[in-house]
Amino acid sequence: MTQALINGLVLGANYALMALGLTLIFALMGVLNFAHGQLYVLGGFVTYYVFTVMGLPFVVAVLASIVVLAIVGFLFDALFFRRVQQRSAREESSMLLAAGLALLLESLILLGFGEKQRGVALSVSGVYQIFDAYVPASRVVVFVVAMLAVVLFILFMRHTKPGRVLRAIAQDRDVTALQGVNIALYSGVGFAIGSALAGLAGSLLVTIFAVNSGMGTAISIKAFIMVMLGGAGIVSGAIVGAFVLGMVEALGYAFLPGSVTYLVIFVGLILFLVIRPNGIMGKPWG
Amino acid sequence: MRISGMLLAAALGVTSSLMSLGAHAEDKVLKIGQLGVMSGPSASWGLVSRYSAEALAGMINDEGGLSIGDDKYKIEIVSVDDKLDIRAAIAGIERLAYQDKVKYVIGPNVDDPSVAILPVLEAAGVFNISYGFTKELFMEPNKNTALGMIATYQTAPVVYKWLADNKGVKTVSFVSWNGVGGKANLDSGLDAAKKVGLEVLSSDAVYELGTTDFFPVMGGVVKANPDLIVLSGVSPAEAPLLIRAARELGYQGLMSTETAQDAKVLEEVAGSLANGFISLGGASSPELQSEYMAKFRDRYVQVAGEWNDEAGTKVYALYMLLKTIEAAGPKAVDDIEAFKASLPQFETANPFIKDQSVKLRWVGNSWFGQPRQISVPMVINEYRDGGFQTLFVTSVE
Amino acid sequence: MIRSNQVWAFLILALVYIVGVPFIVESRYILGILASAAGLSIIALGAWLTLAIGRVNLGQGAFALVGGYVVAIATTRWGVSFWLAIVVAGFISAAVGVVLGLGILRLRGVYFAMITLSFTEAVRLALLNGGEFTGGAGGISRIPVPGELSLLGVTIIPAFNSVNTHVASFVLSGVLLALAVLLCWRISACRIGGVFVSMQQSEELAQSVGVNITHLRIVAFGIGSFLGGIGGGYFAAAQQSVYPGGFGVPDSVSLVLYCFLGGIGYVAGPVVGTFLLFLGFQFLQDFQQYQMLAYSLLMVALMIWLPNGVLSLSEAGWIRRYRSQHGQAGAHHAG
Repeated sequence: MTQALINGLVLGANYALMALGLTLIFALMGVLNFAHGQLYVLGGFVTYYVFTVMGLPFVVAVLASIVVLAIVGFLFDALFFRRVQQRSAREESSMLLAAGLALLLESLILLGFGEKQRGVALSVSGVYQIFDAYVPASRVVVFVVAMLAVVLFILFMRHTKPGRVLRAIAQDRDVTALQGVNIALYSGVGFAIGSALAGLAGSLLVTIFAVNSGMGTAISIKAFIMVMLGGAGIVSGAIVGAFVLGMVEALGYAFLPGSVTYLVIFVGLILFLVIRPNGIMGKPWG
Repeated sequence: MRISGMLLAAALGVTSSLMSLGAHAEDKVLKIGQLGVMSGPSASWGLVSRYSAEALAGMINDEGGLSIGDDKYKIEIVSVDDKLDIRAAIAGIERLAYQDKVKYVIGPNVDDPSVAILPVLEAAGVFNISYGFTKELFMEPNKNTALGMIATYQTAPVVYKWLADNKGVKTVSFVSWNGVGGKANLDSGLDAAKKVGLEVLSSDAVYELGTTDFFPVMGGVVKANPDLIVLSGVSPAEAPLLIRAARELGYQGLMSTETAQDAKVLEEVAGSLANGFISLGGASSPELQSEYMAKFRDRYVQVAGEWNDEAGTKVYALYMLLKTIEAAGPKAVDDIEAFKASLPQFETANPFIKDQSVKLRWVGNSWFGQPRQISVPMVINEYRDGGFQTLFVTSVE
Repeated sequence: MIRSNQVWAFLILALVYIVGVPFIVESRYILGILASAAGLSIIALGAWLTLAIGRVNLGQGAFALVGGYVVAIATTRWGVSFWLAIVVAGFISAAVGVVLGLGILRLRGVYFAMITLSFTEAVRLALLNGGEFTGGAGGISRIPVPGELSLLGVTIIPAFNSVNTHVASFVLSGVLLALAVLLCWRISACRIGGVFVSMQQSEELAQSVGVNITHLRIVAFGIGSFLGGIGGGYFAAAQQSVYPGGFGVPDSVSLVLYCFLGGIGYVAGPVVGTFLLFLGFQFLQDFQQYQMLAYSLLMVALMIWLPNGVLSLSEAGWIRRYRSQHGQAGAHHAG
């Protein structure tokens, strides 16, 4: 039981990192980014490449992932989303565009990084024992870094000018535009930050989960669950959703046979959203 | 309502029929199909098949091609991605059979598509090498499918017996994935454990393909502290994660699987935690491989960019198909009946291993009632510090 | 309104396709993928109906699964004729859709999309864990090909195994698709269709005109689910097997993509989109390892170039000029 609870907690922190970028892009652009999982995977592969193949320090690898993904995110917005959003009759088009981009990114990753499972073995070894539960040191490191990243992100959104502008855009795009804010630029920045968060998640979690070119869709679906659970477009909601999912998953695997856990999660999510569509933290952004 | 859409659809139909008329096989080219999953999370299964076939075909073509009767044939590999999807697998085999006029196919990699394409194989007269383990695939009334590697139900008894005799293993727990292949592997593992007299502590730990965190799955298994944890039919992608989870949860005992793994992946993902992990290997470990295998290895690296240990097993499919066609004569090029008739008596040297006393044959009589399996040597490996060490070598029959 | 000459044109075209193609096309492979494209089009039409009421429906894969399993279980276990089973499959899917719809149809946008996506996963996992009843991970195989359908001793449809099965499957898929198109066409052309269009713009407005939209939404979603079930039932018989993974989230997303890329403003949109992309993917096979890349590039390019679908080309200037010269009405949405 202790083990299941601790697993849930650690899992939740990792999941929170996965969900943040998704919820940010949704809040800013109204785009449910189906390519989120693939961005995560790309982040993992960049870290793998820089750390394992090029032999540079892990910190450099993480930074490389963040930078590469930020650029990819900015280009996604500038080249694709902005155009489709301007010209399409239906706003859902952007969601489908993201699904198309997910496929594109996935095939590029497969061609570029190959079909093998890739992992990064950190030189952090050892296992801590808390009561009768085991927690490997590598997970503690990732847990701490993940929590740090989440806190930094929240501080950025609260206390910096770009952060405040992004929040204003999320709250009311048109009013913010009237105040002379360069919306196009800031959408690009928002997309870049969202993607960089996905890349950071992939970069850190590759040390625990490893990556392969085809796992993006599964990651996206998990991130969707967390975001919907917490309330779409709400940062605190995504974090709460992540911990709820982590807990339910860990407890489910401990007490239910195999894939019944996820059946319960999906049915539960449907029922929950029918009753409370705005999620747990269902209040406006900010 | 616009009817232009309908017109477009009709036009597509016409175009496609013209395309089908345009496809001609060139002279003196022997096309071998390859059908497998080459995208998505399990892409490595099909891609290794494909790279192996392309590498070996390249080597044979460089040597002037394959002699069948009086003619020399260049080998061409035609690959189709089945995406692990039944609709795509059926469309793929129909494409290979009716469009490319292929008679011999390597793949699919798993059970569901292998079962789903059986009617097409029968109707089109196509022979395939499957990597699904379902016994019925290779038994009457199916005659057009052979097993390209060694199945769990064949490896498990051998491995467990060896572990019981040499490592004093008495208790075992199983971890398997939720799918046809996983369930079948688990059942045959349980069977084998019973035969060898091992006590099964648990077998209900099941995970979904694509799971990333194995702590929850492994928790219960490790708690019972068995002498051996069997990762039933585990894929190369998931094996190191499972091993790592078990070790980090404090497990000290032995771990094994009956499927082929990749040393590089184990090293990168699990590192030294994977030391002592027992798995099935091809003939690629240095102490076994012949010069020809070393050459193949180089060629494979040229094709795929990086060696994969699974290729040591997968290379046999194309080799056996070609050598058997060669022996059966020109008739077998277009007619699988001639090919099938020659299966029982066919025998050739195994060029991939040093030991020349063991011949390559079509085996499986005692398992399937007909010779529908390639006699890939059963090499049991132990992982240690980035490479495999051979524990022992045996054969299916 | 639908003019009768349009109906005749459609029927003739459908007939030419259903009867003509098997004569011209000898390749079983081509027949097979055309039949699959038609089957998927039926399911995509269901997704289109939900799009018509302003909802992105990512649950269509689940309804196809339900339909497929109904046909599989009814024909293999209870010996029910395929012809009865596929109709039952459609209605069971519709019933499931109505029950689900009662709960979720008041939600919109991303919420509706996510709930239906969850539904696709939930159905797949339920079938995976269904034990003996659903056959678990192995699904149900050895589904018989459709048998003879006779009325008062007269054979209306011959047993599929007594004729060329490939041609029979092709014809069946073609006929089902033609019926599905007629159904959706009829719906979009009558008064409800007009309400649908206004609902896409503003549900409040539609409500204020005195339309019971709650009721209409349920009807549209139910019919969409019905088509999903029919399509799934068709695939069960055509492939003679069903598996939990037969339709999943990627399929559900693809089906909606087909609608968008074909053009959601047109009844023919989903059909055009499905044929174009599904067949396109098959023909890109020659790109080998670059197949998926080429396919996704094509898809993204189409979206950027024609965000309102391939059929929105018909509203391009030159076609409109042609129409006005020939005295036809300009482009109008969904009939």
